[in-house]
Amino acid sequence: MIKIVKRDQPSRAIFFFTPVLAIFLTLVAGGLIFFILGFKPFEALKFFFIIPIADKYGFSELLLKATPLCLIAIGLSFCFKSNNWNIGAEGQLTFGAIVSGGVALLFYEQEGFYILPIVILAGAIGGMLYASIPAILKTYFNTNEILVSLMLVYVSKLILDYLVVGPWSNPEGFNFPETRQFSDSAKLPLLFEGLRIHAGIFLALAAVVISWFVFYKTYLGFQMKVSGFSLKTAKYAGYKGKKMIILVFLISGACAGLAGVGEITGPIGQLHREISPDYGFTAIIVAFLGRLHPVGIIFASLVVAITYLGAETAQIFMQIPKYTGQVFQGMILFFLLASDYLLFFKIKFIGSKK
Amino acid sequence: MNTNLKISNVTKIYPGCVANDNVSLEFNSGKIYALLGENGAGKSTLVKILSGVIIPDEGKIYLNENNLNLNSPLDAKKNDIGMVFQHFNLFETLSVFDNLIIDSDEQRESLREKIDSIMKKYNFSIDLDIPVLNLSAGQKQKVEIIRCLIRSPKVLIMDEPTSVLTEQETSELFLSLKKFSEEGILIIYITHKLKEVMQLCDEVAVMRRGKLVSVSEIKNENIESLANKMVGQNLRTIKKKKAKTSSDQLIKITNLNFTSEDPFETNLMDINFSVNRGECLGIAGISGNGQSELFQVLSGEIISEKKSIEFNNNYIGDLNPQERREYLMAFSPEDRLEQAAIPQMKIFENVALNNFKSSNFFNNGLINENKIKEHSKKIISDFNVNTDNIELKSQFLSGGNLQKLIIGRELITSPDLLICFNPTWGLDVGAINYIHETLIKINEQNKSIILISTDTDELLKLSDKISVIHKGKLSKIMNTEEVTSEKLGILMGGAN
Repeated sequence: MIKIVKRDQPSRAIFFFTPVLAIFLTLVAGGLIFFILGFKPFEALKFFFIIPIADKYGFSELLLKATPLCLIAIGLSFCFKSNNWNIGAEGQLTFGAIVSGGVALLFYEQEGFYILPIVILAGAIGGMLYASIPAILKTYFNTNEILVSLMLVYVSKLILDYLVVGPWSNPEGFNFPETRQFSDSAKLPLLFEGLRIHAGIFLALAAVVISWFVFYKTYLGFQMKVSGFSLKTAKYAGYKGKKMIILVFLISGACAGLAGVGEITGPIGQLHREISPDYGFTAIIVAFLGRLHPVGIIFASLVVAITYLGAETAQIFMQIPKYTGQVFQGMILFFLLASDYLLFFKIKFIGSKK
Repeated sequence: MNTNLKISNVTKIYPGCVANDNVSLEFNSGKIYALLGENGAGKSTLVKILSGVIIPDEGKIYLNENNLNLNSPLDAKKNDIGMVFQHFNLFETLSVFDNLIIDSDEQRESLREKIDSIMKKYNFSIDLDIPVLNLSAGQKQKVEIIRCLIRSPKVLIMDEPTSVLTEQETSELFLSLKKFSEEGILIIYITHKLKEVMQLCDEVAVMRRGKLVSVSEIKNENIESLANKMVGQNLRTIKKKKAKTSSDQLIKITNLNFTSEDPFETNLMDINFSVNRGECLGIAGISGNGQSELFQVLSGEIISEKKSIEFNNNYIGDLNPQERREYLMAFSPEDRLEQAAIPQMKIFENVALNNFKSSNFFNNGLINENKIKEHSKKIISDFNVNTDNIELKSQFLSGGNLQKLIIGRELITSPDLLICFNPTWGLDVGAINYIHETLIKINEQNKSIILISTDTDELLKLSDKISVIHKGKLSKIMNTEEVTSEKLGILMGGAN
């Protein structure tokens, strides 16, 4: 007989084991789905998870996709750790991209070393501005940040749509919904000739290091931790709750904005309608799969990035729709939540003797 | 007809704790039995087994020689075992009558007659057609009792029934219970209050750590002997020396008001009082009369008008808790696990919650872990917290040790004023004694205390002056010597 018993204390080892278990279960379930669809499971999984990163180019693509995921997830973990549910990173990414794209377009005929820093900064500020809306509404008008931040995603996408179709569309672009190409000075430098991986990865790595330091070594990190466990305790300790809510939203918005900058000044090089394949939403999965820990988030962003690549490979070689990638992302989150059950409960096998 | 209830060799084991260890007891109708024990002694588990909420691992229950299979609360009801829980199970928005008939299949009309006759018989006067939320705690309890009586139970179990009642309501309850007993209902009364056992019961069974320690007749016991059985050791009785009266005013509250937007909170109206150095002001009241709001206003979790609170000649009404701490105030909230400490965090991290500029826990925004740990070790040894591992998560501390840690954290900075709210709530007698001694010591060092508590005995023991809070208003402040628990009870019920 199997009996489920509550754990006396959540196990530390299990805490880091469940994400691995979730990934394993996702692979099993994915294989099963492929089998039902009539593919050979192992072959399909190989197309999905191995082939895409088997060469140098593939590996560069992996890092390219992991960069925005990691950056956004790091930003989100500031919010999630302190009990603020920012679901709108996608909107902050988009708005950051709009602001930085606008600045880049101003300089479209100019060259100069000063352009890129301004463009990057503009993106961070754009993300912060956009994130400040749910933060301020939450602190001063008691609105629910989940709803506000989520709804603002669609607003930002419509703004982007309007701009690339209307005022910002390329005058020589035959009415395609896109802007001019940015000048080379407004683009992030490529790291290797012939590969798309760009300097944005250093922004992500810097975010990892800084966030680790803030989480574990600073008073702010301590306050976030306390607020994350109990807002009542934070109030009792006398922490300035409103200030902190706004601060974590700004940090999170800045990170998402930077991710947006990385996309448009990196691989894309202009603004158009589809600047992000929902990186802002997928990063929520990354943040939790990485246990809101900076190092965990690095690994999680790599794992989830593969699902983007694998989906494309599978579409090309197996004619499976690329949305299978989202199925995998959903399954990872599903299995993670399910296996988190093991944090608090353990399964006991009881022999027939009694 | 006589009722005989027998518990035979009942054992219930939870992971890491034996809640009931081979307990056997026998009850006969015509008597009122007390089941006495500290929190965690296993009495609630035993009662839940009797009422079918928990199924024991081993052991049997016999009612009049019949072996009962109690697999659900319904089984208990069918076997004429009635139970009134500590927390009421009533639908607040439904009428009293609807609440009473909700689990019955009889006709409404015949039930109404039945209920009327029960109420007449026991002298209960409750309007059956008003919603339950308009009733006082005592009346709600009567509704629960009537609900049991409708089924003419053979056994009636009362779980800590007086924790929400005033002194007057308590004595009314005792009268009713005695009447039920005379009519042949077997009554089992669960409590940790010794005084009530002495007043009400005929026989007492004491439990400690899951085991039945003794069964004896009340006439052979006294409060001290029962206390010692309950705790398992001889307790020193502590008594406060009369404080030297000082006229040096420390804190003064003037015309303080608080209006909440939350309908479930109580508004505070025109609060005025002052506390001198070395004095303990007790604030009595039935829970939910504004104590929590008063605590938050005093601690700064709720900000009020700057001049409404004067502390040490500074106006501090608009400061938050951290800023108030700098003026040497300290706070111990009621809720240990959700407010005063964070169980998932380590002991030393919990210590850092009480942060002074001068304690240097955080320098230039960075955590100074060594300083915090050093400080934590001192608290643990000075305040007898039973562990030597400050890296331990606080959830592994018992309630008593956690409260010692919290009080220690608040006191180690030697504040001028400690504000505490139900500091001994849910603790075992040993820990209560320790906390009481500590509070008395603070007064002896000429420091002051505001003690908000729902435990009248505690207030009478520790306070120099007492006031009662009722519906957000404070009564006049009285000297403790002039006050009796009866008088407090009247004020707590809202009368003048």
